[in-house]
Amino acid sequence: MTPLLEVKNLTRVFGGLTAVGDLTFHVDSGEIVGLIGPNGAGKTTCFNLLAGALRPTSGSVFFKGKDVTGRKSHQMCKLGLTRTFQVVQPFPDITALENVMIGAFVRHGSTGAAEAKAREVLDVVGIGHKADVLGRDLTLMELKRLEIGKGLATEPDLLLLDEVAAGLTPVEIDDILALVRRLNSEGMTFLVVEHVMKVIMNLSHRIVVLNFGSQIAEGTPAEISKNPAVLDAYLGEEEYVA
Amino acid sequence: MTFSLSVILQAIASGLMIGGVFALISIGLTLIWGVMKIINFAHGEFLMIGLYLTYFLVTQFGMDPYLTILITTPALFFIGIGIFQVSIKPILKHPQMNQIMLTLGISLILQNLALVLFKADVLSVRTRYTGINYTVGGVVVTLTELIAFFGSIIATLALYYILKTTDIGRWIRAAAQNPTAAILQGVDVRFTYLLAFGMGSACLGIAASLLLPFYYTSPTVGLFLGLIAFVVVVLGGMGNFLGAFVGGLIIGLTESLGAAIMPGSLSRVLTFGIFVLFLLFRPQGILSKRQS
Amino acid sequence: MRRYREFLIPVVVFGLAGFLPLFLKTYYVHIGILILIWAYLATSWNILGGYAGQHSLGHGLYMGIGAYASTYLALNFGLTPWVGMFVGMAFAAAAGWFVGYATFRYGLKGAYFALVTIALAEAAVYVVSNWKAMGGAAGLEVKYLGTNPFMMQFDGKLPYFYIILVMTLLAVLTAQWLNRRRFGYRLIAVRENEEAAEAMGVNTLGTKINANVLSAVMTAAGGTFFAQYFTYVGPRVVFGEMVSVQILLFAIIGGLGTVWGPLVGAVILVPVAEIARAELGTQFQGAHLLLYGGVLVFTMLFMPKGIVGLVKSVRSRIWKTPDDSVSAPAPEGGAS
Repeated sequence: MTPLLEVKNLTRVFGGLTAVGDLTFHVDSGEIVGLIGPNGAGKTTCFNLLAGALRPTSGSVFFKGKDVTGRKSHQMCKLGLTRTFQVVQPFPDITALENVMIGAFVRHGSTGAAEAKAREVLDVVGIGHKADVLGRDLTLMELKRLEIGKGLATEPDLLLLDEVAAGLTPVEIDDILALVRRLNSEGMTFLVVEHVMKVIMNLSHRIVVLNFGSQIAEGTPAEISKNPAVLDAYLGEEEYVA
Repeated sequence: MTFSLSVILQAIASGLMIGGVFALISIGLTLIWGVMKIINFAHGEFLMIGLYLTYFLVTQFGMDPYLTILITTPALFFIGIGIFQVSIKPILKHPQMNQIMLTLGISLILQNLALVLFKADVLSVRTRYTGINYTVGGVVVTLTELIAFFGSIIATLALYYILKTTDIGRWIRAAAQNPTAAILQGVDVRFTYLLAFGMGSACLGIAASLLLPFYYTSPTVGLFLGLIAFVVVVLGGMGNFLGAFVGGLIIGLTESLGAAIMPGSLSRVLTFGIFVLFLLFRPQGILSKRQS
Repeated sequence: MRRYREFLIPVVVFGLAGFLPLFLKTYYVHIGILILIWAYLATSWNILGGYAGQHSLGHGLYMGIGAYASTYLALNFGLTPWVGMFVGMAFAAAAGWFVGYATFRYGLKGAYFALVTIALAEAAVYVVSNWKAMGGAAGLEVKYLGTNPFMMQFDGKLPYFYIILVMTLLAVLTAQWLNRRRFGYRLIAVRENEEAAEAMGVNTLGTKINANVLSAVMTAAGGTFFAQYFTYVGPRVVFGEMVSVQILLFAIIGGLGTVWGPLVGAVILVPVAEIARAELGTQFQGAHLLLYGGVLVFTMLFMPKGIVGLVKSVRSRIWKTPDDSVSAPAPEGGAS
């Protein structure tokens, strides 16, 4: 079976600096794959490359068996690959419902259908009662949920989550993790970038570790936590291995 | 039409002269843009105030036009500060387009206030400098243009010196580069903005006194000169001091050479064409600056 | 029928407005026409500026294209302005596409977009001023031959009033349509957060270009009407900076990105400005523009969301209606 997402020798150079170099990994349908690495390891650049916000310098990306290298963000989204943002990116002047509707319009042409889909998604992420609140008036926790909801509304096959746990309390993190697990059990595939190690270890089926833009390890959470190369890379970053 | 060498040389000379004044006008705009990221659409109208002020000082009080610099410069400084305090300061944190619309409103007010007060007449002055020319190799240069050119260069250098060596200059540069860091280092950013806005406006006082003896004033004079200042600032790179100076000379030359070889006012199309091309392909300006 | 209810209010409001001239003196009908011209142009601008958040400061470009196209074709080929209007709209569509593509393709936004649009409109002033066939700086005069509906010429003011009334109604209906349709939501998404919109499947480049084209096409039709009503077009009169500024003025003061904002802005401001012009114009030329400037400054300082925005926020603060902006989902299913 071909993997849902296949990344081959992906490279991105900024000026003289290689942010992502020769990165190869894959994500199978139904998986939750974690992408970790110390600060500046190239995780966000990798996300931007996969989601089409940046063009790779070389290498290729295959999605559902199709070469999608260099496609733009909105095209990737239509193909079924949607990303969320580390720093939440709501549309501040419209309601939560309308925020999510923008995503629902990818698969639904009519306003009524998009709105029905958006309400459904708001309930799934647990902010159905906030449907009529403006984006600017939501709390951080609600915004994090909205961020996932905006992604879900596009009905992706693969959802890229960028640091959903950042800035949340442990209880709130558990809520979000439960949500991701539930969506996964319903068949959605996830690629997750996360700084909080506890989250990634708990959540992922498989983990890809980056350092200096390249993959240094891959395996199950249990394998990764014992991998000397990984421990080495994180040395001096103790505070994050909480 | 014949493009004789003397016509071209004459155009180059005149273009450089007026370009020096364009540069001084634009440096005020680029200073304000660079420091507080505000595009002052009323910049041309501030210059218009300076031109009218010079006109009245010369015609009503018989002042020497170049002596009026002593009055127009502080006057424009304080007018700038006043307008900043009442209208721009309250919306410093608002979206950029709101700030643009606000300054657009100010320009409408000033322009039409001038129309109400002074009528639409085009006014110019005759002074004892008028009509004195120098001919060098067939190229005629008027004394008033020469004074304006060198006056603009001196004013530019003086402003440059202030920015580079004084405390005020250091504050302004710090606030322009990184407002947050500037605050942490104890710079009063609001006060610095105020000073920068005042200084940017004061440049127009000097420019007005230098310009009027060979130019004119009317309620709409700022419309064109304001647009020229935008062109120059974009050409030089927004917020780039040296770039604005080079840009001023280039646009002076473009206007003047264009007028010499193109019929009617088509040279303006050239000027705005350059402007659009730069905005599209080289928005960082002619002297490429580090990308921030 | 339920899905067309949103269009009922504009139709009723404009239908009632249609009775007004029967009770008004000619001069007031003239003011009514002026209100509608600016309301129409501001509503057209609002699609790009208010909904999509791209503040064009050079909409005079499209207005001028519309005005010059129909006038030139009528003068030289006897073409009726009714058709000339559509020719102008086609040219404006091309210009709008080109401007949109050139600017948005290179990622120009905010102040940079505003500056390019000013420069293009200003360049157009000088191109037309030096274009002999277009009458040069003197402009073109629409030959007036008495009432001739075929040539969009009338002796009285009433027919002009009804033409621009219908045009403005259509513009408001377009805005209302956008308000609850996918394209409209996408415009707003682009305005609110381009990066997020792109990630959510919105082709932001295409959306912005389309908004520019739609806005340009509508503006051009206003240009044709303007030329027919005033029977004159000149480079500064239709392409000039003052035209571009006035077009966006009413939208901003009335309320950016709202259906009724541009109309409300024009209804409130134009009569005051016209009376100022009529009463003070001979002594104090520019009195009305002075007023516009003052109101613009006041708006930016004290009610940046405009009159309609202010009313909305006051209303929601008093009533706290949850279904304020989003009505119950309209069942679509079988109808579509």
